[in-house]
Amino acid sequence: MDRITHYLQAMWAENIKEWKIELSYKFDFARSLVEPFVYVLPYLLFGIAVVGGRSSESLFKLIGTEDVITFVVIGYLFMGFLNTALWGMGFALRKEQFYGTLESVFVAPVPRWVYVGGMALHSTIHQGLIILIQMVLLQCIFHLLIDVSGLLPAMGVVALMLVALYGIGMLVASLALIFKAGWIIAEALHSVISIVTPIAYPLAVLPLFLRKASYFFPTTYGILTIRHFLIGENMGFSVGTSLLRLSLLCVGWAAFGLFIFSVVDRKTRREGTLGHY
Amino acid sequence: MSQAGDLARNMNGELRIVWEEFKKNLKILLCYPVIWGFWAIFPILWVLPLIFQGKALVGGLSSQAFENLTGTDNYLAFVLIGAIVSTYAMSSLWGMGQSLREESYWGTLELILTAPIRPLPILIGKAMLESGFATVGALIQAAIFSFFLGVDLSFGKILPVLFIMILLLLGLYGAGLALAAITLLIKESRGLVNTLNWVFYLFSPIRYPVEVNPITKIVSLAIPLTYALFAIRSILLLNTSIRELWVSVLLLILFDIGLIWGSYYVFLRVERRVRKTGTIGMY
Repeated sequence: MDRITHYLQAMWAENIKEWKIELSYKFDFARSLVEPFVYVLPYLLFGIAVVGGRSSESLFKLIGTEDVITFVVIGYLFMGFLNTALWGMGFALRKEQFYGTLESVFVAPVPRWVYVGGMALHSTIHQGLIILIQMVLLQCIFHLLIDVSGLLPAMGVVALMLVALYGIGMLVASLALIFKAGWIIAEALHSVISIVTPIAYPLAVLPLFLRKASYFFPTTYGILTIRHFLIGENMGFSVGTSLLRLSLLCVGWAAFGLFIFSVVDRKTRREGTLGHY
Repeated sequence: MSQAGDLARNMNGELRIVWEEFKKNLKILLCYPVIWGFWAIFPILWVLPLIFQGKALVGGLSSQAFENLTGTDNYLAFVLIGAIVSTYAMSSLWGMGQSLREESYWGTLELILTAPIRPLPILIGKAMLESGFATVGALIQAAIFSFFLGVDLSFGKILPVLFIMILLLLGLYGAGLALAAITLLIKESRGLVNTLNWVFYLFSPIRYPVEVNPITKIVSLAIPLTYALFAIRSILLLNTSIRELWVSVLLLILFDIGLIWGSYYVFLRVERRVRKTGTIGMY
Protein backbone atom coordinates (compact mmCIF):
# COMPACT_ATOMS: atom_id res chain seq x y z
CA MET A 1 0.00 0.00 0.00
CA ASP A 2 2.85 2.33 0.93
CA ARG A 3 4.51 1.62 -2.34
CA ILE A 4 1.37 2.51 -4.32
CA THR A 5 1.02 5.77 -2.38
CA HIS A 6 4.67 6.46 -3.11
CA TYR A 7 4.12 5.87 -6.84
CA LEU A 8 1.00 8.01 -6.89
CA GLN A 9 2.90 10.82 -5.17
CA ALA A 10 5.63 10.56 -7.77
CA MET A 11 3.05 10.73 -10.57
CA TRP A 12 1.43 13.75 -9.00
CA ALA A 13 4.81 15.44 -8.60
CA GLU A 14 5.52 14.80 -12.28
CA ASN A 15 2.14 16.28 -13.18
CA ILE A 16 2.80 19.41 -11.11
CA LYS A 17 6.31 19.77 -12.57
CA GLU A 18 4.88 19.69 -16.10
CA TRP A 19 2.25 22.30 -15.25
CA LYS A 20 4.96 24.56 -13.85
CA ILE A 21 7.07 24.21 -17.00
CA GLU A 22 4.10 24.77 -19.30
CA LEU A 23 2.82 27.76 -17.37
CA SER A 24 6.20 29.44 -17.53
CA TYR A 25 5.67 29.70 -21.32
CA LYS A 26 2.35 31.53 -21.10
CA PHE A 27 1.98 32.24 -24.79
CA ASP A 28 2.56 28.59 -25.63
CA PHE A 29 0.09 27.50 -22.99
CA ALA A 30 -2.63 29.83 -24.29
CA ARG A 31 -1.92 28.64 -27.81
CA SER A 32 -2.25 25.00 -26.79
CA LEU A 33 -5.79 25.73 -25.59
CA VAL A 34 -6.89 27.48 -28.78
CA GLU A 35 -4.90 25.66 -31.46
CA PRO A 36 -7.06 22.50 -31.68
CA PHE A 37 -10.06 24.73 -32.32
CA VAL A 38 -8.22 26.36 -35.21
CA TYR A 39 -7.12 22.92 -36.40
CA VAL A 40 -10.65 21.63 -36.83
CA LEU A 41 -11.98 24.64 -38.77
CA PRO A 42 -10.36 23.86 -42.16
CA TYR A 43 -12.04 20.43 -42.10
CA LEU A 44 -15.40 22.03 -41.37
CA LEU A 45 -14.97 24.66 -44.07
CA PHE A 46 -13.78 22.03 -46.53
CA GLY A 47 -16.91 20.01 -45.74
CA ILE A 48 -19.13 23.02 -46.34
CA ALA A 49 -17.27 23.81 -49.59
CA VAL A 50 -17.74 20.35 -51.11
CA VAL A 51 -21.34 19.93 -49.96
CA GLY A 52 -22.40 23.53 -50.50
CA GLY A 53 -24.02 23.70 -47.05
CA ARG A 54 -24.29 21.89 -43.73
CA SER A 55 -26.41 18.90 -44.73
CA SER A 56 -25.12 15.99 -46.76
CA GLU A 57 -27.47 13.49 -48.35
CA SER A 58 -24.58 11.13 -49.01
CA LEU A 59 -23.58 11.15 -45.32
CA PHE A 60 -27.18 10.44 -44.34
CA LYS A 61 -27.23 7.36 -46.58
CA LEU A 62 -24.01 6.10 -45.02
CA ILE A 63 -24.61 6.64 -41.29
CA GLY A 64 -28.13 7.94 -40.78
CA THR A 65 -27.25 11.54 -39.89
CA GLU A 66 -26.83 14.44 -42.30
CA ASP A 67 -25.27 17.19 -40.18
CA VAL A 68 -21.71 17.52 -41.49
CA ILE A 69 -20.59 19.98 -38.80
CA THR A 70 -21.65 17.97 -35.74
CA PHE A 71 -20.32 14.76 -37.28
CA VAL A 72 -16.87 16.20 -38.01
CA VAL A 73 -16.59 18.23 -34.80
CA ILE A 74 -17.27 15.28 -32.49
CA GLY A 75 -14.73 13.16 -34.35
CA TYR A 76 -11.97 15.75 -34.05
CA LEU A 77 -12.82 16.78 -30.48
CA PHE A 78 -12.40 13.33 -28.97
CA MET A 79 -9.56 12.42 -31.26
CA GLY A 80 -7.65 15.08 -29.31
CA PHE A 81 -6.93 12.41 -26.68
CA LEU A 82 -4.60 10.78 -29.17
CA ASN A 83 -2.27 13.72 -28.53
CA THR A 84 -2.18 12.67 -24.88
CA ALA A 85 -0.69 9.33 -25.81
CA LEU A 86 1.59 10.37 -28.63
CA TRP A 87 2.85 13.79 -27.61
CA GLY A 88 2.18 13.94 -23.89
CA MET A 89 3.67 10.52 -23.16
CA GLY A 90 5.68 9.64 -26.23
CA PHE A 91 7.56 12.89 -26.51
CA ALA A 92 8.01 13.30 -22.76
CA LEU A 93 11.32 11.47 -22.59
CA ARG A 94 12.79 13.39 -25.49
CA LYS A 95 11.85 16.64 -23.76
CA GLU A 96 13.66 15.57 -20.60
CA GLN A 97 16.63 14.79 -22.77
CA PHE A 98 16.58 18.32 -24.20
CA TYR A 99 16.38 19.75 -20.69
CA GLY A 100 19.33 17.55 -19.68
CA THR A 101 17.29 15.89 -16.93
CA LEU A 102 16.50 12.47 -18.44
CA GLU A 103 19.27 10.64 -16.59
CA SER A 104 18.30 12.31 -13.28
CA VAL A 105 14.66 11.34 -13.74
CA PHE A 106 15.58 7.77 -14.65
CA VAL A 107 17.75 7.19 -11.58
CA ALA A 108 14.97 8.36 -9.23
CA PRO A 109 13.82 5.56 -6.85
CA VAL A 110 10.60 4.72 -8.75
CA PRO A 111 10.02 2.47 -11.77
CA ARG A 112 10.30 4.31 -15.09
CA TRP A 113 6.67 3.64 -15.99
CA VAL A 114 5.69 5.79 -13.01
CA TYR A 115 7.39 8.72 -14.68
CA VAL A 116 5.54 8.08 -17.96
CA GLY A 117 2.34 7.58 -15.96
CA GLY A 118 2.82 11.02 -14.41
CA MET A 119 3.15 12.47 -17.88
CA ALA A 120 -0.02 10.65 -18.91
CA LEU A 121 -1.86 12.10 -15.93
CA HIS A 122 -0.72 15.60 -16.75
CA SER A 123 -1.47 15.24 -20.42
CA THR A 124 -4.96 13.83 -19.81
CA ILE A 125 -5.89 16.76 -17.57
CA HIS A 126 -4.43 19.24 -20.06
CA GLN A 127 -6.15 17.60 -23.02
CA GLY A 128 -9.44 17.39 -21.12
CA LEU A 129 -9.26 21.13 -20.52
CA ILE A 130 -8.54 21.75 -24.22
CA ILE A 131 -11.48 19.60 -25.30
CA LEU A 132 -13.81 21.35 -22.87
CA ILE A 133 -12.83 24.80 -24.21
CA GLN A 134 -13.13 23.58 -27.78
CA MET A 135 -16.54 22.09 -27.16
CA VAL A 136 -17.88 25.29 -25.62
CA LEU A 137 -16.47 27.44 -28.45
CA LEU A 138 -17.74 25.17 -31.20
CA GLN A 139 -21.14 24.81 -29.55
CA CYS A 140 -21.45 28.62 -29.38
CA ILE A 141 -20.47 29.06 -33.03
CA PHE A 142 -22.06 26.10 -34.76
CA HIS A 143 -24.88 25.03 -32.41
CA LEU A 144 -24.00 21.34 -32.52
CA LEU A 145 -26.97 19.00 -32.61
CA ILE A 146 -26.09 16.44 -29.92
CA ASP A 147 -28.13 14.18 -27.68
CA VAL A 148 -27.25 15.41 -24.16
CA SER A 149 -28.35 12.11 -22.58
CA GLY A 150 -25.52 10.44 -24.49
CA LEU A 151 -22.82 12.50 -22.77
CA LEU A 152 -22.37 10.22 -19.75
CA PRO A 153 -21.99 6.95 -21.69
CA ALA A 154 -19.73 8.84 -24.12
CA MET A 155 -17.46 9.79 -21.19
CA GLY A 156 -17.31 6.12 -20.20
CA VAL A 157 -16.15 5.26 -23.71
CA VAL A 158 -13.51 8.02 -23.51
CA ALA A 159 -12.17 6.48 -20.27
CA LEU A 160 -11.93 3.07 -21.91
CA MET A 161 -10.27 4.50 -25.00
CA LEU A 162 -7.73 6.34 -22.82
CA VAL A 163 -6.47 3.11 -21.24
CA ALA A 164 -5.62 1.71 -24.66
CA LEU A 165 -4.10 5.04 -25.73
CA TYR A 166 -1.82 4.98 -22.68
CA GLY A 167 -0.53 1.64 -23.95
CA ILE A 168 0.25 3.24 -27.32
CA GLY A 169 1.88 6.14 -25.46
CA MET A 170 4.19 3.73 -23.58
CA LEU A 171 5.13 2.15 -26.89
CA VAL A 172 5.98 5.52 -28.45
CA ALA A 173 7.93 6.59 -25.36
CA SER A 174 10.06 3.46 -25.59
CA LEU A 175 10.60 3.83 -29.33
CA ALA A 176 11.75 7.39 -28.70
CA LEU A 177 14.43 5.97 -26.40
CA ILE A 178 15.81 3.89 -29.27
CA PHE A 179 15.36 6.18 -32.26
CA LYS A 180 15.94 9.46 -30.37
CA ALA A 181 14.00 11.62 -32.88
CA GLY A 182 10.82 10.83 -30.96
CA TRP A 183 8.71 13.43 -32.70
CA ILE A 184 8.96 11.52 -35.98
CA ILE A 185 7.53 8.39 -34.38
CA ALA A 186 4.78 10.35 -32.67
CA GLU A 187 3.97 12.30 -35.84
CA ALA A 188 4.04 9.23 -38.09
CA LEU A 189 1.83 7.20 -35.77
CA HIS A 190 -0.48 10.18 -35.32
CA SER A 191 -0.82 10.49 -39.10
CA VAL A 192 -1.52 6.79 -39.62
CA ILE A 193 -4.03 6.55 -36.78
CA SER A 194 -5.74 9.77 -37.91
CA ILE A 195 -6.18 8.36 -41.42
CA VAL A 196 -7.59 4.98 -40.45
CA THR A 197 -9.82 6.35 -37.68
CA PRO A 198 -13.22 7.46 -39.00
CA ILE A 199 -12.88 11.00 -37.62
CA ALA A 200 -14.52 13.01 -40.41
CA TYR A 201 -15.87 10.13 -42.50
CA PRO A 202 -17.54 6.79 -41.88
CA LEU A 203 -15.58 3.52 -42.04
CA ALA A 204 -17.46 2.61 -45.22
CA VAL A 205 -15.50 5.07 -47.42
CA LEU A 206 -12.10 3.64 -46.43
CA PRO A 207 -10.44 1.15 -48.80
CA LEU A 208 -10.72 -2.38 -47.43
CA PHE A 209 -7.09 -2.67 -46.24
CA LEU A 210 -7.36 0.60 -44.29
CA ARG A 211 -10.68 -0.49 -42.82
CA LYS A 212 -9.06 -3.69 -41.59
CA ALA A 213 -6.13 -1.73 -40.16
CA SER A 214 -8.54 0.58 -38.34
CA TYR A 215 -9.88 -2.34 -36.28
CA PHE A 216 -6.55 -2.50 -34.43
CA PHE A 217 -6.81 1.02 -33.03
CA PRO A 218 -8.93 1.99 -30.02
CA THR A 219 -9.77 5.35 -31.58
CA THR A 220 -11.90 3.62 -34.24
CA TYR A 221 -14.28 2.07 -31.71
CA GLY A 222 -13.94 5.06 -29.38
CA ILE A 223 -14.98 7.68 -31.94
CA LEU A 224 -17.70 5.55 -33.54
CA THR A 225 -19.29 4.69 -30.19
CA ILE A 226 -19.06 8.24 -28.85
CA ARG A 227 -20.74 9.52 -32.02
CA HIS A 228 -23.33 6.77 -31.74
CA PHE A 229 -24.24 8.00 -28.27
CA LEU A 230 -24.18 11.69 -29.19
CA ILE A 231 -25.66 11.83 -32.69
CA GLY A 232 -27.02 8.34 -33.26
CA GLU A 233 -24.45 7.29 -35.87
CA ASN A 234 -25.14 3.89 -37.34
CA MET A 235 -21.87 2.04 -36.69
CA GLY A 236 -22.55 -1.14 -38.63
CA PHE A 237 -22.20 -3.24 -35.44
CA SER A 238 -23.82 -3.18 -31.99
CA VAL A 239 -22.70 -1.05 -29.02
CA GLY A 240 -21.93 -4.25 -27.11
CA THR A 241 -19.63 -5.50 -29.87
CA SER A 242 -17.89 -2.15 -30.02
CA LEU A 243 -17.33 -2.02 -26.25
CA LEU A 244 -16.09 -5.59 -26.17
CA ARG A 245 -13.56 -4.92 -28.94
CA LEU A 246 -12.49 -1.70 -27.27
CA SER A 247 -11.95 -3.54 -23.98
CA LEU A 248 -9.84 -6.17 -25.73
CA LEU A 249 -7.78 -3.43 -27.33
CA CYS A 250 -7.29 -1.82 -23.90
CA VAL A 251 -5.81 -5.01 -22.49
CA GLY A 252 -3.75 -5.68 -25.62
CA TRP A 253 -2.27 -2.22 -26.08
CA ALA A 254 -1.63 -1.61 -22.37
CA ALA A 255 0.17 -4.96 -21.97
CA PHE A 256 2.12 -4.51 -25.21
CA GLY A 257 3.11 -0.93 -24.34
CA LEU A 258 4.34 -1.86 -20.85
CA PHE A 259 6.20 -4.90 -22.15
CA ILE A 260 8.02 -2.98 -24.90
CA PHE A 261 8.81 -0.16 -22.50
CA SER A 262 10.43 -2.49 -19.96
CA VAL A 263 12.43 -4.27 -22.68
CA VAL A 264 13.68 -1.02 -24.23
CA ASP A 265 14.41 0.51 -20.84
CA ARG A 266 16.63 -2.46 -19.93
CA LYS A 267 18.31 -2.41 -23.34
CA THR A 268 19.20 1.30 -23.30
CA ARG A 269 20.56 1.03 -19.76
CA ARG A 270 22.68 -1.98 -20.60
CA GLU A 271 24.07 -0.37 -23.74
CA GLY A 272 24.50 2.98 -22.03
CA THR A 273 22.69 4.84 -24.83
CA LEU A 274 20.20 6.63 -22.62
CA GLY A 275 21.96 9.97 -22.88
CA HIS A 276 22.65 9.75 -26.63
CA TYR A 277 21.12 12.27 -28.99
CA MET B 1 41.79 48.39 -55.89
CA SER B 2 42.59 47.32 -52.33
CA GLN B 3 39.02 48.14 -51.29
CA ALA B 4 37.73 45.90 -54.06
CA GLY B 5 40.15 43.22 -52.90
CA ASP B 6 38.89 43.49 -49.30
CA LEU B 7 35.32 43.25 -50.50
CA ALA B 8 36.13 40.12 -52.52
CA ARG B 9 37.93 38.57 -49.54
CA ASN B 10 34.98 39.37 -47.24
CA MET B 11 32.59 37.93 -49.76
CA ASN B 12 34.68 34.76 -50.08
CA GLY B 13 34.84 34.45 -46.31
CA GLU B 14 31.08 34.81 -45.94
CA LEU B 15 30.39 32.33 -48.74
CA ARG B 16 32.65 29.88 -46.92
CA ILE B 17 30.66 30.40 -43.72
CA VAL B 18 27.44 29.74 -45.64
CA TRP B 19 28.96 26.54 -47.05
CA GLU B 20 30.31 25.35 -43.70
CA GLU B 21 26.97 26.00 -42.01
CA PHE B 22 25.22 24.15 -44.83
CA LYS B 23 27.58 21.17 -44.38
CA LYS B 24 27.20 21.16 -40.61
CA ASN B 25 23.40 21.10 -40.78
CA LEU B 26 23.47 18.46 -43.51
CA LYS B 27 25.62 16.23 -41.29
CA ILE B 28 23.16 16.64 -38.44
CA LEU B 29 20.21 15.93 -40.72
CA LEU B 30 21.90 12.80 -42.11
CA CYS B 31 22.08 11.45 -38.56
CA TYR B 32 18.28 11.21 -38.67
CA PRO B 33 17.55 9.43 -41.99
CA VAL B 34 13.94 8.75 -41.01
CA ILE B 35 13.26 12.49 -41.22
CA TRP B 36 14.00 12.50 -44.97
CA GLY B 37 11.50 9.76 -45.68
CA PHE B 38 8.94 11.28 -43.37
CA TRP B 39 8.83 14.68 -45.05
CA ALA B 40 8.78 13.18 -48.52
CA ILE B 41 5.81 10.90 -47.92
CA PHE B 42 3.68 12.08 -45.02
CA PRO B 43 2.45 15.45 -46.34
CA ILE B 44 0.68 13.46 -49.06
CA LEU B 45 -0.86 11.16 -46.46
CA TRP B 46 -2.16 14.15 -44.50
CA VAL B 47 -4.42 14.92 -47.44
CA LEU B 48 -6.11 11.50 -47.37
CA PRO B 49 -8.59 12.40 -44.59
CA LEU B 50 -9.85 15.31 -46.71
CA ILE B 51 -10.27 13.02 -49.70
CA PHE B 52 -12.17 10.41 -47.67
CA GLN B 53 -14.21 13.19 -46.11
CA GLY B 54 -15.11 14.62 -49.52
CA LYS B 55 -16.02 11.15 -50.76
CA ALA B 56 -18.29 10.56 -47.77
CA LEU B 57 -19.99 13.93 -48.07
CA VAL B 58 -20.63 14.06 -51.84
CA GLY B 59 -20.35 10.39 -52.77
CA GLY B 60 -17.58 10.91 -55.36
CA LEU B 61 -14.39 12.76 -56.27
CA SER B 62 -15.98 15.81 -57.89
CA SER B 63 -18.26 18.43 -56.47
CA GLN B 64 -20.45 20.99 -58.24
CA ALA B 65 -20.51 23.22 -55.13
CA PHE B 66 -16.70 23.13 -55.09
CA GLU B 67 -16.56 24.11 -58.77
CA ASN B 68 -18.81 27.08 -58.11
CA LEU B 69 -16.24 28.35 -55.61
CA THR B 70 -12.96 27.47 -57.28
CA GLY B 71 -13.54 26.89 -60.97
CA THR B 72 -12.60 23.20 -60.68
CA ASP B 73 -14.74 20.36 -59.39
CA ASN B 74 -11.63 18.27 -58.69
CA TYR B 75 -11.24 18.81 -54.95
CA LEU B 76 -8.70 16.01 -54.79
CA ALA B 77 -6.19 17.87 -56.99
CA PHE B 78 -7.03 21.10 -55.16
CA VAL B 79 -6.05 19.76 -51.75
CA LEU B 80 -3.01 17.85 -53.04
CA ILE B 81 -1.54 21.01 -54.59
CA GLY B 82 -2.27 22.80 -51.32
CA ALA B 83 -0.46 20.08 -49.37
CA ILE B 84 2.69 20.13 -51.49
CA VAL B 85 3.02 23.91 -51.71
CA SER B 86 2.22 24.48 -48.06
CA THR B 87 4.68 21.86 -46.81
CA TYR B 88 7.33 23.46 -48.96
CA ALA B 89 6.48 26.92 -47.70
CA MET B 90 6.14 25.98 -44.03
CA SER B 91 9.57 24.39 -43.99
CA SER B 92 11.03 27.86 -44.40
CA LEU B 93 9.21 29.17 -41.35
CA TRP B 94 10.00 26.12 -39.24
CA GLY B 95 13.57 25.80 -40.40
CA MET B 96 14.53 29.41 -39.89
CA GLY B 97 12.41 29.99 -36.82
CA GLN B 98 13.72 26.96 -34.97
CA SER B 99 17.31 27.02 -36.20
CA LEU B 100 18.65 29.31 -33.48
CA ARG B 101 16.58 27.58 -30.80
CA GLU B 102 18.18 24.28 -31.77
CA GLU B 103 21.63 25.81 -31.43
CA SER B 104 20.51 26.95 -28.00
CA TYR B 105 19.47 23.37 -27.09
CA TRP B 106 22.78 22.01 -28.35
CA GLY B 107 24.63 24.60 -26.28
CA THR B 108 26.30 26.16 -29.34
CA LEU B 109 24.31 29.37 -29.74
CA GLU B 110 26.66 31.53 -27.68
CA LEU B 111 29.67 30.19 -29.59
CA ILE B 112 28.05 31.05 -32.91
CA LEU B 113 26.90 34.51 -31.96
CA THR B 114 30.19 35.47 -30.33
CA ALA B 115 32.27 34.27 -33.30
CA PRO B 116 33.91 37.15 -35.20
CA ILE B 117 31.46 36.89 -38.10
CA ARG B 118 28.09 38.31 -39.06
CA PRO B 119 25.17 36.01 -38.16
CA LEU B 120 23.47 36.48 -41.54
CA PRO B 121 25.68 34.02 -43.50
CA ILE B 122 24.98 31.42 -40.82
CA LEU B 123 21.25 31.87 -41.25
CA ILE B 124 21.60 31.78 -45.03
CA GLY B 125 23.49 28.49 -44.71
CA LYS B 126 20.68 27.07 -42.60
CA ALA B 127 18.06 28.41 -45.03
CA MET B 128 19.85 26.87 -48.02
CA LEU B 129 19.80 23.41 -46.48
CA GLU B 130 16.17 23.81 -45.46
CA SER B 131 15.14 24.85 -48.96
CA GLY B 132 17.20 22.10 -50.61
CA PHE B 133 15.65 19.52 -48.29
CA ALA B 134 12.15 20.91 -48.91
CA THR B 135 12.72 20.93 -52.68
CA VAL B 136 13.61 17.23 -52.73
CA GLY B 137 10.50 16.48 -50.68
CA ALA B 138 8.26 18.59 -52.92
CA LEU B 139 9.64 16.93 -56.07
CA ILE B 140 8.93 13.45 -54.69
CA GLN B 141 5.42 14.51 -53.71
CA ALA B 142 4.80 16.10 -57.12
CA ALA B 143 5.97 12.90 -58.84
CA ILE B 144 3.59 10.80 -56.73
CA PHE B 145 0.82 13.32 -57.36
CA SER B 146 1.39 13.35 -61.11
CA PHE B 147 1.63 9.55 -61.30
CA PHE B 148 -1.59 8.82 -59.41
CA LEU B 149 -3.76 11.67 -60.70
CA GLY B 150 -2.40 11.99 -64.19
CA VAL B 151 -2.04 15.78 -63.79
CA ASP B 152 -0.04 17.31 -66.61
CA LEU B 153 3.31 18.48 -65.21
CA SER B 154 4.83 19.42 -68.57
CA PHE B 155 7.82 21.75 -68.90
CA GLY B 156 5.52 24.58 -70.01
CA LYS B 157 3.71 24.38 -66.68
CA ILE B 158 6.64 23.51 -64.42
CA LEU B 159 8.62 26.67 -65.23
CA PRO B 160 5.90 29.17 -64.27
CA VAL B 161 5.10 27.10 -61.16
CA LEU B 162 8.78 27.18 -60.16
CA PHE B 163 8.84 30.91 -60.73
CA ILE B 164 5.87 31.39 -58.41
CA MET B 165 7.44 29.07 -55.82
CA ILE B 166 10.68 31.06 -55.83
CA LEU B 167 8.74 34.29 -55.30
CA LEU B 168 6.85 32.69 -52.43
CA LEU B 169 9.94 31.25 -50.78
CA LEU B 170 11.90 34.51 -50.94
CA GLY B 171 9.25 36.24 -48.88
CA LEU B 172 8.84 33.36 -46.47
CA TYR B 173 12.57 33.04 -45.83
CA GLY B 174 12.50 36.76 -45.15
CA ALA B 175 9.76 36.17 -42.58
CA GLY B 176 11.83 33.25 -41.23
CA LEU B 177 14.63 35.70 -40.51
CA ALA B 178 12.29 37.74 -38.32
CA LEU B 179 11.23 34.55 -36.55
CA ALA B 180 14.85 33.65 -35.89
CA ALA B 181 15.26 37.08 -34.34
CA ILE B 182 12.19 36.61 -32.17
CA THR B 183 13.64 33.29 -31.01
CA LEU B 184 16.66 35.18 -29.71
CA LEU B 185 14.33 37.47 -27.84
CA ILE B 186 11.60 35.23 -26.39
CA LYS B 187 13.65 31.97 -26.50
CA GLU B 188 10.82 29.51 -27.16
CA SER B 189 9.41 30.53 -30.53
CA ARG B 190 7.98 27.10 -31.36
CA GLY B 191 4.58 28.36 -30.27
CA LEU B 192 4.82 31.44 -32.42
CA VAL B 193 5.84 29.45 -35.49
CA ASN B 194 3.06 26.98 -34.75
CA THR B 195 0.55 29.77 -34.48
CA LEU B 196 1.72 31.28 -37.73
CA ASN B 197 1.48 27.84 -39.26
CA TRP B 198 -2.15 27.55 -38.22
CA VAL B 199 -3.01 31.06 -39.29
CA PHE B 200 -1.75 30.04 -42.72
CA TYR B 201 -3.71 26.78 -42.62
CA LEU B 202 -6.88 28.50 -41.52
CA PHE B 203 -6.81 31.66 -43.62
CA SER B 204 -5.12 30.64 -46.85
CA PRO B 205 -6.57 28.20 -49.38
CA ILE B 206 -4.35 25.25 -48.45
CA ARG B 207 -7.06 22.80 -47.52
CA TYR B 208 -10.28 24.47 -48.61
CA PRO B 209 -11.35 27.39 -50.82
CA VAL B 210 -11.30 30.51 -48.63
CA GLU B 211 -14.22 31.92 -50.64
CA VAL B 212 -16.53 29.65 -48.64
CA ASN B 213 -16.53 32.12 -45.73
CA PRO B 214 -16.44 35.94 -45.91
CA ILE B 215 -13.98 36.27 -42.98
CA THR B 216 -11.45 33.78 -44.35
CA LYS B 217 -11.81 35.36 -47.78
CA ILE B 218 -10.82 38.81 -46.49
CA VAL B 219 -8.03 37.69 -44.11
CA SER B 220 -6.50 35.47 -46.81
CA LEU B 221 -5.70 38.59 -48.85
CA ALA B 222 -2.97 39.49 -46.35
CA ILE B 223 -1.13 36.16 -46.75
CA PRO B 224 1.31 35.67 -49.67
CA LEU B 225 0.59 31.94 -49.74
CA THR B 226 -2.94 32.75 -50.97
CA TYR B 227 -1.63 34.39 -54.15
CA ALA B 228 0.94 31.65 -54.75
CA LEU B 229 -1.64 28.88 -54.36
CA PHE B 230 -4.13 30.70 -56.54
CA ALA B 231 -1.54 31.14 -59.29
CA ILE B 232 -0.19 27.56 -59.08
CA ARG B 233 -3.66 26.00 -59.13
CA SER B 234 -4.68 28.25 -62.01
CA ILE B 235 -1.66 27.09 -64.02
CA LEU B 236 -1.97 23.39 -63.20
CA LEU B 237 -5.72 22.88 -63.06
CA LEU B 238 -7.23 25.63 -65.21
CA ASN B 239 -4.41 25.96 -67.81
CA THR B 240 -4.10 29.69 -67.16
CA SER B 241 -0.97 31.35 -68.58
CA ILE B 242 1.43 33.23 -66.31
CA ARG B 243 0.70 36.47 -68.21
CA GLU B 244 -2.91 36.34 -67.04
CA LEU B 245 -1.68 35.99 -63.45
CA TRP B 246 0.35 39.20 -63.42
CA VAL B 247 -1.56 40.67 -60.45
CA SER B 248 -0.65 37.69 -58.24
CA VAL B 249 2.98 37.85 -59.41
CA LEU B 250 3.19 41.58 -58.70
CA LEU B 251 1.71 41.16 -55.23
CA LEU B 252 4.14 38.35 -54.43
CA ILE B 253 7.07 40.56 -55.47
CA LEU B 254 5.78 43.36 -53.22
CA PHE B 255 5.40 40.90 -50.32
CA ASP B 256 8.99 39.72 -50.92
CA ILE B 257 10.43 43.23 -50.81
CA GLY B 258 8.51 44.10 -47.65
CA LEU B 259 9.21 40.85 -45.82
CA ILE B 260 12.93 40.64 -46.62
CA TRP B 261 13.64 44.28 -45.84
CA GLY B 262 11.47 44.39 -42.71
CA SER B 263 12.74 41.08 -41.32
CA TYR B 264 16.40 41.91 -41.84
CA TYR B 265 15.87 45.18 -40.01
CA VAL B 266 14.13 43.37 -37.12
CA PHE B 267 16.92 40.78 -36.97
CA LEU B 268 19.66 43.41 -36.72
CA ARG B 269 17.80 45.33 -34.01
CA VAL B 270 17.06 42.23 -31.92
CA GLU B 271 20.54 40.82 -32.27
CA ARG B 272 22.07 44.09 -31.03
CA ARG B 273 19.63 44.12 -28.13
CA VAL B 274 20.31 40.58 -26.90
CA ARG B 275 24.04 41.14 -27.14
CA LYS B 276 23.74 44.33 -25.08
CA THR B 277 21.44 42.79 -22.45
CA GLY B 278 23.48 39.57 -22.29
CA THR B 279 20.46 37.28 -22.58
CA ILE B 280 21.71 35.11 -25.46
CA GLY B 281 22.43 32.08 -23.29
CA MET B 282 19.17 32.18 -21.36
CA TYR B 283 16.50 29.52 -21.86
